[in-house]
Amino acid sequence: MRIRKAVITAAGDHHARLPLQTLVDRRGEIRTALRLMLDEVVESGIEEVAIIVRPGQQEPYLTAAGPHASRLVFFEQSHPRGYGDAILRARDFAAGEAFLHLVSDHLYLSRTGRLCAQQLVEAASKSECSVSAIQPTRENEVAFFGTVGGTPVAQSDNLYEVNMVIEKPTPTIAEQHLIVAGQRAGYYLCMFGMHVLTPTVLTLLQKSLDAAPASQNIDLSSSLNQLAQTERYLALEIDGSRYNISYKYGLLLAQLAFSLSGDDRDLILTELVNLLAAK
Amino acid sequence: MNLLDFITSPDIAVRNRSLDAACLGLSLGELLNECQQLDAFRRRCDNLYDRVRCLFFLYAIHRFHLPTQLAGHESGHIPYGGYEYMLNRRYPEAIDVFLQKLQQDGPSVSLSSALGEAYHRLAFQTLADQVRRSVRTVRGNQWMFRTGHPADVPLRIRPELLTIDEHTNSFPILRERTAVRMDFTHSGWSDIFFLGMDYPEGAKVINASIDLAVRGRHQKPEPPIDCSLRVIDEPVLRLISIDLDAKVEIREINEVFDFARDYLGLIKGAVIAAGLIPPGMEGCGGRIADVFSRMIGPGLGLEITSRVNDIPKGSRLAVSTNLLGSLISMCMRATSQVTAMTGQLEESDRRIVAARAILGEWIGGSGGGWQDSGGVWPGIKLIQGCTAGPDDPEYGVSRGRLMPQHHVFTQQEISDETHRRLQDSLVLVHGGMAQNVGPILEMVTEKYLLRCEQEWAARQDAIGLLEQITASLKAGDIPGIGHATHRNFHEPLQAIIPWCSNVYTERLIQECQTKYGSQFYGFWMLGGMAGGGMGFIFDPAIRTEAQEWLQAMMLDVKRSMEASVPFAMDPVVYDFAINDNGTFAELRHDGGLPQGYHALMVPDWLRRGLQQLTPMLRSELERVGNACRDSVGGDNLASRLIQRILPSTSIETQQSARLEDLLRENGFDPIAHEQLREDLRSGRLGMSQNRLPASVTIEDVSDEDVIEARRDIPATAIELGRAAIANGEVGVISLAAGVGSRWTQGAGVVKALNPFCKMSGQWRSFLDIHFAKTRQVAAAYGISPLHVVSSGYLTDRPIRDAVEKLNALLPDSPRRDAIFRVSRGASIGLRMVPTLRDLQFTWEEVAQQVLDQQKEKVRISLRSALMNWARTAGEASDYTDNLASQCMHPVGHWYEVPNMLRNGMLRQMLSDRPQLKYLMLHNIDTLGANIDAGCLGLHIQSNADLSFEVISRRLEDRGGGLAKVDGRVRLVEGLAMPREEDEFQLSWYNSLTTWINIDRLLSVFGLDRAALSNQKAIAAAIRDLGRRIPTYITLKDVKKRWGHGQEDVFPISQFEKLWGDMTALSDVKCSFLVVPTLRGQQLKDPAQLDGWLRDGSAAYVESLCEW
Repeated sequence: MRIRKAVITAAGDHHARLPLQTLVDRRGEIRTALRLMLDEVVESGIEEVAIIVRPGQQEPYLTAAGPHASRLVFFEQSHPRGYGDAILRARDFAAGEAFLHLVSDHLYLSRTGRLCAQQLVEAASKSECSVSAIQPTRENEVAFFGTVGGTPVAQSDNLYEVNMVIEKPTPTIAEQHLIVAGQRAGYYLCMFGMHVLTPTVLTLLQKSLDAAPASQNIDLSSSLNQLAQTERYLALEIDGSRYNISYKYGLLLAQLAFSLSGDDRDLILTELVNLLAAK
Repeated sequence: MNLLDFITSPDIAVRNRSLDAACLGLSLGELLNECQQLDAFRRRCDNLYDRVRCLFFLYAIHRFHLPTQLAGHESGHIPYGGYEYMLNRRYPEAIDVFLQKLQQDGPSVSLSSALGEAYHRLAFQTLADQVRRSVRTVRGNQWMFRTGHPADVPLRIRPELLTIDEHTNSFPILRERTAVRMDFTHSGWSDIFFLGMDYPEGAKVINASIDLAVRGRHQKPEPPIDCSLRVIDEPVLRLISIDLDAKVEIREINEVFDFARDYLGLIKGAVIAAGLIPPGMEGCGGRIADVFSRMIGPGLGLEITSRVNDIPKGSRLAVSTNLLGSLISMCMRATSQVTAMTGQLEESDRRIVAARAILGEWIGGSGGGWQDSGGVWPGIKLIQGCTAGPDDPEYGVSRGRLMPQHHVFTQQEISDETHRRLQDSLVLVHGGMAQNVGPILEMVTEKYLLRCEQEWAARQDAIGLLEQITASLKAGDIPGIGHATHRNFHEPLQAIIPWCSNVYTERLIQECQTKYGSQFYGFWMLGGMAGGGMGFIFDPAIRTEAQEWLQAMMLDVKRSMEASVPFAMDPVVYDFAINDNGTFAELRHDGGLPQGYHALMVPDWLRRGLQQLTPMLRSELERVGNACRDSVGGDNLASRLIQRILPSTSIETQQSARLEDLLRENGFDPIAHEQLREDLRSGRLGMSQNRLPASVTIEDVSDEDVIEARRDIPATAIELGRAAIANGEVGVISLAAGVGSRWTQGAGVVKALNPFCKMSGQWRSFLDIHFAKTRQVAAAYGISPLHVVSSGYLTDRPIRDAVEKLNALLPDSPRRDAIFRVSRGASIGLRMVPTLRDLQFTWEEVAQQVLDQQKEKVRISLRSALMNWARTAGEASDYTDNLASQCMHPVGHWYEVPNMLRNGMLRQMLSDRPQLKYLMLHNIDTLGANIDAGCLGLHIQSNADLSFEVISRRLEDRGGGLAKVDGRVRLVEGLAMPREEDEFQLSWYNSLTTWINIDRLLSVFGLDRAALSNQKAIAAAIRDLGRRIPTYITLKDVKKRWGHGQEDVFPISQFEKLWGDMTALSDVKCSFLVVPTLRGQQLKDPAQLDGWLRDGSAAYVESLCEW
């Protein structure tokens, strides 16, 4: 299975300007968050990228995309009905192919030579099914993420067969349904904000949208949960970290993470020590 | 086959064999050998239940089988070190110490009593630890023990609860209403956790969720539990219990774990078990505001209110567990831990709520059965134990799971018509008794694990009855249900535990049968025992009439028995309806809170002043004002508010006047009382001053200091005794002036008259039994000993009535000359609030039993609250905040003989029977004491003024004994022991039964027979001798009842002079007779009853009686 398309959702309430924020990347160059994301996607072998935005948001995104602007296609979500609805807007763009999906408020930092998106795309290509990137997360944080339950895939140390997905569970619910063998007590496999999705997901999302009352939003996790009952669906524990830049100090932490793993590590460390000493 | 096979055999028939039957044929050596093998097995065994069963085997052998084989080896020393280990719950170490002593000294009844108790407690500790582990490891509960800091709080309040309503200017209210559960049958208490986890196949219960209305108080049945939760604009946790009239605003996390500080312990338990403040946070020292700023938002808090619809305590409907379930469900809904925020719960959610309710009970230091949260489920359901599977935390540990399975019967299985017919037939009542079911549950567990033959057969029978009830329910056969529940109560349940019934319940059943004959279908015991919540099934044609009749009849029966049976309240009759919702929630935007909320809260808000209130409270106060002005809906609220705010004529004033009258009438000495108060406050008297000086030497007596009366009594002595009895020279004094507060835990009924066991087919009281023994002596000797019962201010009238009734029953009998008389007490004391010094001494300096971890926390919290109470109420001030009779106290049994001098009873006896020379004085609970010719003969031969009977000491015989004090042989009270360990050196325990030589005793007082008509001389003699007898300060648990069957227990100071101290007087010649344990043992606590019945004590006592 070859994955050459990506869909980035950026139409949420607080997403409008987040991808346009600037950071200094690992090499010390100033980049927008969107550019960093597109660098990751393109280096992972993606050729075309669809971005779901609010009406009238295309221009700043094109500017922020830098050299990748030519790969971009925009879809507007004029009457938003949730995260699931946003992804559905790219149905025509996907045109029956599996695609990489990312959320626009996350930045990713790999701990290996292979980028996070690259690890995911390779796993999906090899397994020929939908794969969600996941990260073990402590129970006091699970209420912020979609969380998967499943069983480890034999002969693999980072792949899991998913049998259940619950959106933002409480630890009470997670403990009853989402415990995965091999995880530390109190840790669950939470979504990393990055998936490779097969066309079945779009079909399931469409069904959910059709079934829901007009006033109700639809999310992705419910359809992923149905996907787990419908066809093979895996989760890949990524060797890397995600940074949600929509959180309080999220951008700062992302910046620190990039800098401390890049060329300016010593400089930033020195400045941090100075700051601490001055305090 | 050895006894170990009964535990380990793969053959179920062998495993189910009765231990008692197998032990009957074994010799002493064989039993000791079996004990050795069993003890070695329990040390190496990995399997929890095998280990526990082994411990129960060891307990039973030491408690019931070895003592019968140890004739001649009764007395031995129990090492104090082992006892200390037991107090600290270190039972394995205690067992090692006792076993080492057994190796050194050989077996004895004393050591077996210690070993039996240690094995028994270790067995229950092992079981309780396992349940605790299982509760913690239920999936969905584990995270709460890992969350230890406010920054870790993972829960968030549902956004719907954060939307401020425009009209009310407040956050919406989540209201949860929950049914209670009524069990058709519990198959022999099979819902006890230990049973369900060991024998899941036999753990079966049918119960129904019901709504209730108290007849005459409510209009129609409604869910009795009504709770609410809302966000408030103050960063506090506000807890309110409307029915308990209690409220608190909590700001510190640690305060949530302080359960006994107020009446809100159950709501606190629910808050913890629901994970709002998870158990892992105990001791973290954080602030509630820090938790809530993450969970709800900065500056916001939560208000949780509970209300139970006037259901009295002891309803046997598991009100507190269902209240806990309701509160937990509501809190879990509010934090998205269960799927549905409103409406019914889903099955998986009910299960986690029930698991949390079990956790909440454990946290609060209480505990019920696993069926108790049945009100959370709808309708009628079958609840069954489940075998543990590989995914369960119990797998490999116990056969069954902690959590059972619920099957709610569908409409196809049990029709609506059956529901209706049941409602038209069953009369549900609260009989008025509120007993502690705890001892019964322990007895059931023990008998189950020992596979006592009768119990095991009855258990199988009860399981069969469940099938029968199910079939009747499915067929809509209500009479069939009535017959089955009736048989269940009278056959299997009473075969397992006879104490689940009582004289009151059986009288009610008998009255129903007499009045309605075949139209009374049967009796229905609810919960753990009868007397509180109960059911009576009638023909629907007469059900309404029967309801009216029952109400009046129960009240009449209660009135006739209230002196002897511990009632907490007047009986009530309920209306009920089956609840098809279970627990049910709604989100209200109209500000609708449980009834009574504003009447409780508004006075407090008004006191605080408008400026101190938050904006939301100010708006709410305005709404309350509007409601009061509204002529339609406001009248009731306005009137309730006025009742709370404005003072009314105080009941306390009337109460106080009555107390003064009673004190005057009963010989209260105000001058001595003031002196006592002065001494208490100055520290001249107190718990620590009860002790003899530390310089005193306490030693065990030697064989020469006692007279052997257990066996081989010389024929000459027996003959001497017989002649004295036959000549009418002997009388009996039964001491019954006190109420026996330990027997009914301070309920204030007359212990002597409490019908506690069945003998010869009828319920008998202590007094019945003592009189029956006198009758037997009368029948044997042709002359009845005079029998005097001493009474006190509380017990005089009821005892007099009982004695009159008894005499009236035998008008023409040849035994009529067995003259029963009552000697009324002539002294009384007024109880006092204890001093902090005495409370500290009792709780901190005297060695005492450490409780289970959670219960210990609750006890520490309670004690701190009681210390505050004593400080606020005033140390050594008069205790008057209770019923008048509960404020006074008898002044100790030393006064009983002097009372007989003072009130002329002894003079009358000597006048009626001039040959009277000897009296046998005994405690009301020494049931084996009778006029024994051998003992009397030994007393006469000893030429002593007083002969005291002593028995070989067992572990439970605490409270002093026979000792050589600085070389003089005397009885020493436990209170007077300079060091606690001294008591453990003593071989003999004081039974208090005393043979008195009347003339010699009179001379000790400085009197003679002729002087008995000189009141002045008598008063002077008593005063003079009384000065030489020490005064002890004691703390007694006194119950204060309030609300609907609620009870508080307070430790109250009183003083006593004790009869045993006569032995300390140098001019009194005393001898000491060693008598058999069966004769001298005392029955102090209802928890002893089952052992008393099983070890042959009851049969021994019955053999002394003539009915």
